Amino acid sequence: MSDNGIVLAAEDGVEAAFIGWLKETLNKNIFDALLIPVGTPAGDSFAYLLLQEPAILDSASPLPPVMPVQGGKAIGRLTMRENPSKRIAAVVRPCEARAAIELSKLEQAHLDNVCLITLDCPGVLPLADYLVDPVAGAARFKEASAQWDRSPMRPTCQVCDHFSLRQAPGCDLHVGTLGCPDGTAVVVAGSSKGDHVLEQMDMGGQDEDEQADFLNTAVTDWGTQVEQVEEAQTERRRQAQEDLREEIAGAEKLLGVFSSCINCHNCQRVCPVCYCRQCYFESAALKLPAENYLARAERKGALRFSPDTLLFHIGRASHMALSCVSCGACEDACPMDIPVGQVFSLLGDRAQKALGYVAGTSLEDPLPLVSYEMDELHEVEQPYVEVYPNQEVQDA
Amino acid sequence: MSEEREFVPKIVYFMCSWCGTGGAETAAAHHLRYPENVIPSRVNCTGALPAVHVIRPLIEGADGVVISGCHPGDCHYDDGNFRARRRVALVKSLLDTLGLEPERVWFRYVAHGEGRRFVDTAAEFNDHITRLGPNPLKTRSDT
Repeated sequence: MSDNGIVLAAEDGVEAAFIGWLKETLNKNIFDALLIPVGTPAGDSFAYLLLQEPAILDSASPLPPVMPVQGGKAIGRLTMRENPSKRIAAVVRPCEARAAIELSKLEQAHLDNVCLITLDCPGVLPLADYLVDPVAGAARFKEASAQWDRSPMRPTCQVCDHFSLRQAPGCDLHVGTLGCPDGTAVVVAGSSKGDHVLEQMDMGGQDEDEQADFLNTAVTDWGTQVEQVEEAQTERRRQAQEDLREEIAGAEKLLGVFSSCINCHNCQRVCPVCYCRQCYFESAALKLPAENYLARAERKGALRFSPDTLLFHIGRASHMALSCVSCGACEDACPMDIPVGQVFSLLGDRAQKALGYVAGTSLEDPLPLVSYEMDELHEVEQPYVEVYPNQEVQDA
Repeated sequence: MSEEREFVPKIVYFMCSWCGTGGAETAAAHHLRYPENVIPSRVNCTGALPAVHVIRPLIEGADGVVISGCHPGDCHYDDGNFRARRRVALVKSLLDTLGLEPERVWFRYVAHGEGRRFVDTAAEFNDHITRLGPNPLKTRSDT
């Protein structure tokens, strides 16, 4: 993070100030297009718009109350084939930016011409809760997020510990609102790309020393507050994951959790880091002759149809857990209210910890399964002993 | 003879086509025996063994899965065994988180000439799984 930054202030709120600033970036030709959430015309949801006309920005909503589409997926869709020829700023939440970074490492997104702009995120409401009454939902979100109260948010958001630039350092620009006085926010750069944007936007001419002091104080206040919240959130997350593990560990409990699964694979479809063109779990590898199912039914006594539910969930985890950014999109998409988001985020956190990786925090850290160290993970190597304890008993 | 039927585990042994299976060949040349309930399965390289192929047998009827590749530095493809080690760590982490007994998966290097080590591994893992008991998932119809 550099010292470069600006303080946004407006009487009609931070959102308006930020949108005004974005408009200026378009007018000054710093960006050619913006990818930003905008309320749908029907007024009951939000969608990412790739917009080039500054006037449309007036209806934009940088922090919508719900996440119907994961922003990382939107960025992936936009840039999967190549680096766009124009400069695009993507205004997303930190988990969405992290998903975009993972996709870029998986070669499913090209971020050279994309500037990731994130905001301090208070979480989002569960999609189902919001859709019951979008107007009341929006009001509930506004009230809760003003006080950084995460209780009405999704379970994964309630225990999110990656809500700001500090924990998502791969972002190019970040708008910090935590700890800032009402109506103000700081915009800081997370990368040289972001730095460059701030330099271009710098109007100069004003009393620079005074401005720098003001900025420094604001950034320090923001940083302190973020650290405090992070500490509390880390503890909440640890506790929640401990409780969750208690609830799901073991064959009996685990099968109980997934017993209502209807094999719709929605969790896979909405997952930003599940990018395979042909999902293994929907491929011919799992569409077998009746003989196979009969043999398995004979062995087990019976076989549930559709089969391979547990294989799908654990197998999918083996594919995406190391890139999981705990966004919770899967849980929003589950029609059966299975806590998939919480389960995958637990699996992801622990697997990433085991392999010394944090998904989406840096473009440089190599993906754990395509890299290795010679001297590591000796705990998974089973040591060989010439005579193992049980053998003596048998030989005797 | 006891009335109860003794538990004979079903074990899948994945071995790479260079060192792991080489160890098995050496064992055969020396007429070394390993338990008959261990089912050998050859993969080109343990680094190319998908995690799903370890998880699937554990759900569908195996009591344990053991994986053998070349010793560090000996891999036919230079680094397949290092990649395999990471993938095994991933599978073990997932199984551990879900309370599904990560000790049912073993990863041990076996070189081409180590026939003794190959049969010892098969026998030791067999005893280990016998002590551990049947895999609870293999009789569940609701997987």
